[in-house]
Amino acid sequence: MSTRPFASRMLVLVAVLALVAAACDSGGETPTDEGSPGTSTGGTIIHGTTDTIVSLDPAGQYDFGSNQISQQVYNTLLEVPEGETTPQPALADCVTDDSMVYTCTLQDGLTFSDGSELTSEDVAFSFQRNIEIDDPAGACSLLASLAACGKWKDGVIETPDPQTVVFNLSAPDAVWPFILTTSAAFIVPSDVFPADELQADGEIVGSGRYTLAQYRAGEQVVLEANESFWGDPPLNDRVIVQYFDQSSALKLAIEQGDVDIAWRTLTPTDVSSLQGQEGLSVLTGPGGEIRYLVFNTSLEPGNELAVRKAAAMVLDRQAIVDNVYEGTVDPLWSMVPAGFAGHIDVFKDVYGETPDVQGAEQVLKDAGVSTPVPIEIWWTPTHYGDASADEYAEIQRSFEESGLFTVTLKSTEWDRYTEAAFTDQYPSYQLGWFPDYVDGDNYVASFYSSSSFLNDHFDSKEVDDLIATERASTDQAEREAAFERIQEIGAAEVPIIPVWQGTQLAIVRDGVEGVQATLDPTYIFRYWGITKAS
Amino acid sequence: MAKQSTSLRAYLLTRIALAIPMLLILLTLVFFLMRVAPGDPISAALGGRLTQEELDRRRAEAGYDRPLAVQYVDYLGDVATLNFGETIVDNRPVTEVIVQNGAATLELTLTAMLIAVGVGVSIGLVAGRHRDTSVDFAGRMFGIVIYAAPVFFLGFLAQLVFGKWLGWFPTSGRASPIVTFELETKTNLFIVDSIISGNWSALADVLRHLVLPATVLGLVIGGVFIRLVRVNLIQTLKGDYIEAARARGIEERSVVYHHAFKNALVPVITVIGLQFALLLSGAVLTEQTFNWPGIGSELVRYLDNRDYIAVQGIITFTGIVVIFVSVFIDFVNAWVDPRVRY
Repeated sequence: MSTRPFASRMLVLVAVLALVAAACDSGGETPTDEGSPGTSTGGTIIHGTTDTIVSLDPAGQYDFGSNQISQQVYNTLLEVPEGETTPQPALADCVTDDSMVYTCTLQDGLTFSDGSELTSEDVAFSFQRNIEIDDPAGACSLLASLAACGKWKDGVIETPDPQTVVFNLSAPDAVWPFILTTSAAFIVPSDVFPADELQADGEIVGSGRYTLAQYRAGEQVVLEANESFWGDPPLNDRVIVQYFDQSSALKLAIEQGDVDIAWRTLTPTDVSSLQGQEGLSVLTGPGGEIRYLVFNTSLEPGNELAVRKAAAMVLDRQAIVDNVYEGTVDPLWSMVPAGFAGHIDVFKDVYGETPDVQGAEQVLKDAGVSTPVPIEIWWTPTHYGDASADEYAEIQRSFEESGLFTVTLKSTEWDRYTEAAFTDQYPSYQLGWFPDYVDGDNYVASFYSSSSFLNDHFDSKEVDDLIATERASTDQAEREAAFERIQEIGAAEVPIIPVWQGTQLAIVRDGVEGVQATLDPTYIFRYWGITKAS
Repeated sequence: MAKQSTSLRAYLLTRIALAIPMLLILLTLVFFLMRVAPGDPISAALGGRLTQEELDRRRAEAGYDRPLAVQYVDYLGDVATLNFGETIVDNRPVTEVIVQNGAATLELTLTAMLIAVGVGVSIGLVAGRHRDTSVDFAGRMFGIVIYAAPVFFLGFLAQLVFGKWLGWFPTSGRASPIVTFELETKTNLFIVDSIISGNWSALADVLRHLVLPATVLGLVIGGVFIRLVRVNLIQTLKGDYIEAARARGIEERSVVYHHAFKNALVPVITVIGLQFALLLSGAVLTEQTFNWPGIGSELVRYLDNRDYIAVQGIITFTGIVVIFVSVFIDFVNAWVDPRVRY
């Protein structure tokens, strides 16, 4: 009686430890899809990422991680194909005469993955519910040309027959075709998704190349090829997306072969250490991700144009690229990044490629500004990655080495940061941007319009007129001319200093093909073109 | 005997009664600390993309501008009805987070506790038995070093040595991606699920994934048990009844393992309860290091996003678990050792 219970407990303990030991004995190889005992392997791609998912319902997402999965499950009327930069027909072909009324004709025989027919009613339903649900985390603001969030208006979408959709915009908008490629424009079945609330993440249905086979929040998404997809079928049968909290864990996973692809986001140090490793390839592609420094032009010292110009002259972008990001990003010379139609290297042309201390000194002297100019720069450690601290230390160094500035760096976490930055509490501050759509408008209108979210008090009637012009025009040459002029004004007035432009980086294991082609400025990771040697 | 039972019952009821205000204080602290901190889920998700007016409008629509007192009363009402609500950042029922991610944490912490007790008790026993020898010294040093080492440091070290260099164990996740997908989950405890479904290859895969995180977490906690068992055994070995046993000619091995050891374990039961709370906090770091999809790593993610509802729900649940475990341990302690009464 006295010893048996204890002995039993010890036996249980020994049994558990033995079980663990037995499991350890299963061999030294790492568990890949090939190595997992008793599992099927054919045509499965495993993608590791540190992105997160907010919602898989198009009405509740405006974030990268959700969009990445949605691109595989849903379709839009138009899409930007691999290697292209302009919208092309997808579910429909759209035409307009005046950039105000767009008529879209759906392809024949479209169905959702559950077998139900995809009609113009589903299209109208998808837009209407997005605007009416007006989810706090949603992207209904992108549909402003149709109706304001929460303020649906009857008649803005007409469906004269099951294959025709007519969008009646409130003003001419040449960007509308791009909007039709965004997450705000995914088409969902009206008999599955509720009209007034978000669909549960695990129960989504679309017409895309894949169906959602499993969703374990924060852990795993499993996509399987949609057998009823209307276009070319995916080159693989299944994609498993594994989610990682830490980039260090993702790095180990790609090294060990737990994942086939690591895409978004490894630190520059991790990428450097993976370069040249046997069995791995580091692939790069153009990216529209940018970082920039904003001046609030109503606060000192940024209210003085000469100060902003001098800052643009002494900023050492190459030092940031080399010392902080180890060459994994490129210097940014305009708020419209390289690779986008209408981009010009305007800051390089106006202020030079390398720091121009003498020029900056002269600008300040001519304006009667005494030096060194005290300047307070804010940055956030909780939104743009661990390298932000080093990036702003480098900016401080380049400013102070000129002898023209004394920099006080201040930081706070993201929530407080955004609130303070946009309410005139920070004289200058760090920000970053991912494109909503692959068009220069997404950059110039967002940053330089007088109603910009930046609230930096930069107000130029010429810029506002140019934005209205490019939005109303379908003439690409005219639009690009407008973009160029806006960039020139931006460089002359310097409310914002562009700092760097991201390069997309993906690490793939040997035998995985098709990743390089999808690394284009759209930031759409097209699983359907990826294959893996068995 | 009847008096003793009554005393035990009264003791237990007192402990349960004391747990209620403890829980209320915890809930109140969580509620107000989350709201006095700057930021909200809307800013966390959309700050840097929308105008201040648009952000304010969305905050108001989500109800974050309601008076704190109103939100507090709603919150207490929800907790009382075990309605933890839906997370704000990803619209998941908090109960789903608790069930799905909590199961992962439970699997990790229970295994870690087994390892901690196994390692701690066995090394402590040997060290105490061979007091002031090189064996004792080695055991003590091991306990101190292991206890002092930060869990994430040990984790990285284990990943490097046993994952990257030797390639013996996986370094992240609860199972291989395909096993995670194909395993039929009924309890969300992968070990149990794979046994229920008779999927032995999945069981081996799950156990292999469990080895590094559970061992790292278990060793850190085990350091406490090493020192505790050693000291208690040494004290117990000085007792009169031990001397009497020896005088009766009982073998030293039997004296130590059958008589002294059992008595030396009594304080360990109390410490197990205390260490359980520590284990949960250690699990947060362990989960982050090993990409273990437990409730700790989810808590960190929701904290980063200022998701009041999720954080409240998870901490409330965790608090209830810790309180339950400590009441249970108190009960076991009082049951095992009749001297424990108030």
